[in-house]
Amino acid sequence: MTAVRSRKSKSAKNAANAALTIILPVALGVLIVALWQGGVLQKLFGTDDYVLPEPTRIFSIFQDNSSAVWANIKITTSVAMLGLLFGSLLGYAAAVLGALKPGIGAGALAVVGAFASVPLVALAPVMNNLTRDVSRVAETRSFVAKILVVMLIAAADMGLNAYRGLTELPPYAVDLMKTYAASSKTVFLKLRLPNSVPYIFTALKVSVPASIMTAIVSEYFAEFNGGVGRQIRENILLAQYSTAWVYIMAACGIGVGTYVILMIVRSIIARKFHM
Amino acid sequence: MADTEAKREVEIEIKDLGVSFTDNAGNPVQALTGVNLDIYKGEFIALLGPSGCGKTTLLRSVADLQQPTEGKISIEGNTPRQTRLARKFGFVFQQPVLFDWRTVRKNVELPLEVMSESKEERAKRAEEMLEMVGLSNFADSYPKQLSGGMQQRVNIARAFSLKPDILLMDEPFSALDEFTKEKLHMDLLRLWKATNKTILFVTHNIEEAVFLSTRVCVFTPHPGRLANVVDITLPQPRELNMKNTMEFTNLVAQVRGSFEGGSL
Repeated sequence: MTAVRSRKSKSAKNAANAALTIILPVALGVLIVALWQGGVLQKLFGTDDYVLPEPTRIFSIFQDNSSAVWANIKITTSVAMLGLLFGSLLGYAAAVLGALKPGIGAGALAVVGAFASVPLVALAPVMNNLTRDVSRVAETRSFVAKILVVMLIAAADMGLNAYRGLTELPPYAVDLMKTYAASSKTVFLKLRLPNSVPYIFTALKVSVPASIMTAIVSEYFAEFNGGVGRQIRENILLAQYSTAWVYIMAACGIGVGTYVILMIVRSIIARKFHM
Repeated sequence: MADTEAKREVEIEIKDLGVSFTDNAGNPVQALTGVNLDIYKGEFIALLGPSGCGKTTLLRSVADLQQPTEGKISIEGNTPRQTRLARKFGFVFQQPVLFDWRTVRKNVELPLEVMSESKEERAKRAEEMLEMVGLSNFADSYPKQLSGGMQQRVNIARAFSLKPDILLMDEPFSALDEFTKEKLHMDLLRLWKATNKTILFVTHNIEEAVFLSTRVCVFTPHPGRLANVVDITLPQPRELNMKNTMEFTNLVAQVRGSFEGGSL
């Protein structure tokens, strides 16, 4: 009897704990917004509601300029996602090459890794210079330059992680395949490839937010003035802080939104592959 | 007696086998030296010894997973490599080596997929093997949902699914508890009787070696060598209560004696 009762209270406790993990962060969020709206936050940071306008004001500016804001969100998101896609494919291809031809691959991965550790602020102008002759339209030139920067970051991240997934195999797995007289193609398809799936998501967990960050920062240096990052910069320069804040919020939204999508995709794949 | 001896067919011939390699520090290590052994078709051979005696090295050399530095191994007149490429070996590793992303059924089908068997044949054989190890109900589970003992049974089912002539087992039960181990011993003996395979079974457990095998090959370390071969005369099929007999105790004592006389 006592055992049953204690189990019941335990499960109730677990439910309460689970609820708390949602309630507490939400409550903190509400508190911060309330303090911000009430002007307390501004006083706390020694600033005023011109530099840090209240949430309702930011929202009304967003409503007034929604079509422009959406257009800029579209630019930034497409740069980030295209760069992420091409970069990840490139990185995975490099990892495959590295896994199959250890001599070439390890070196290639080291080079990619070295490139990726070059600071963004140095990479972006270099890419602008490189893409000078890509198109006569400044908008297109900038678009390509920004995608190249994001690509490099995403490629390095995917390359290094996928290489581990393709080469760090369960102990004796290669020996097992050898006893079946499996060809290296079979070993690749049946062992290395599926083994690398969790590592792909390890890479994406870093490179999805990083590609948004990279897209935003490279917009600062781009030739053409489009995108959320560029709008943050321009509006701060013009002391239009309310508008700048709309774009800061948009940047946060893109980051959180893409991360949530990634987590949903991951959980679907994880269920399928039992990662 | 002489008549039955003559009928026995040598399947694996090991001659003057030696394996040496250099360790990470660059020092030469003699893992195995001067091993001579004839293994007959359908035998259950236990390779017994403490760690570092080269028993796993011998098993891996037979399977062509490692290259001997001296002597040779011949399997029905072929090299280990030819035999491996002809897919005549089933190897059961110390760990289950199951692929987490495949169901139990798909894991058992893996060697058959590699051998490009038809889908129907794969399904049929996987069913058969899982039935044999008593895991039919877990065919659609994933390895991580199974206990260690069940995983090891999947490992054995997978090795049997490719219908190998020779089954090589490297301490397959050493990580399991006594109860699971005894159950798997009986399973393995039943499978051996039903399929008449030649089995090489590496272990460091004297009772296990005596109970399972027809011959125990005793290895001693530094350098690894074959010190003694003990015929196990316990009647077939083996029953668990044979472990309580005087004969079993005497055989265990005899095997243990070959270590104490050796260079342990």
